[in-house]
Amino acid sequence: MKTIEYTITDELGIHARPAGMLVKEAAKFQSKIMVASPKKEVDAKRIMGVMSMGAKKGDPLKVTIEGPDEDAAAEAIEAFLKANL
Amino acid sequence: MFGKLKGLFGGSAGISIAAPMAGTVVPLEEVPDPTFAQGILGQGAAILPAEGRVTAPADGTIDVMFDTGHAVSMTTADGAEVLIHVGIDTVQLNGQHYKACCKAGDRVKKGDLLIEFDPEAVKAAGYETVTPVIICNTDRFAAVKTEKTGPVAAGDVLLTLQAK
Repeated sequence: MKTIEYTITDELGIHARPAGMLVKEAAKFQSKIMVASPKKEVDAKRIMGVMSMGAKKGDPLKVTIEGPDEDAAAEAIEAFLKANL
Repeated sequence: MFGKLKGLFGGSAGISIAAPMAGTVVPLEEVPDPTFAQGILGQGAAILPAEGRVTAPADGTIDVMFDTGHAVSMTTADGAEVLIHVGIDTVQLNGQHYKACCKAGDRVKKGDLLIEFDPEAVKAAGYETVTPVIICNTDRFAAVKTEKTGPVAAGDVLLTLQAK
């Protein structure tokens, strides 16, 4: 299992577009990917879940990745978070 | 009535998603935002609004009412996850010209008011008002079909979903 911790620096937080992009990235991998905001933990492959976190600037996120391609997934998700959020 | 019953039993009539506002139907591919146009958030259609009211497209429960009032998502009684995103990039207005009229967890009936907004003010601020209506869990359905082209009234059937 891999975990990533990241604090959102984007002014707008996770609104519809970044939620869609994050899900698209997560969906490339077989591993189970969960993401937790201070409010709730959701499946990173479900758009409604990711939007419902209501994640804002300054919120710490914790991503948990478990599965056969967890190393590659962790690398890709971490790069995505840094580039987009 | 018959269509509704058939829909309930997963018959060929499918699940109906109503237009949440009056306006003109725009194919999703023509929405000037690749996240919507490429279907990254799911399949659906868009409406160029003729009014500043967003109403529930079906009976169901509100999942997310964005603080900024520019988008709302709900799960319908039939299990469709619908996102209504009022305008393009309008998250940047940070709530200006939008008023949320519901909150997460609210149970709503088709036609209930969800959002009020000022389309002219949004346009004047430099944003497009075209409003994608998206099925976020498109993968749960065999097909998402747009039923309307051109003018649409709030409450008209906009999308039909075929169960898998």
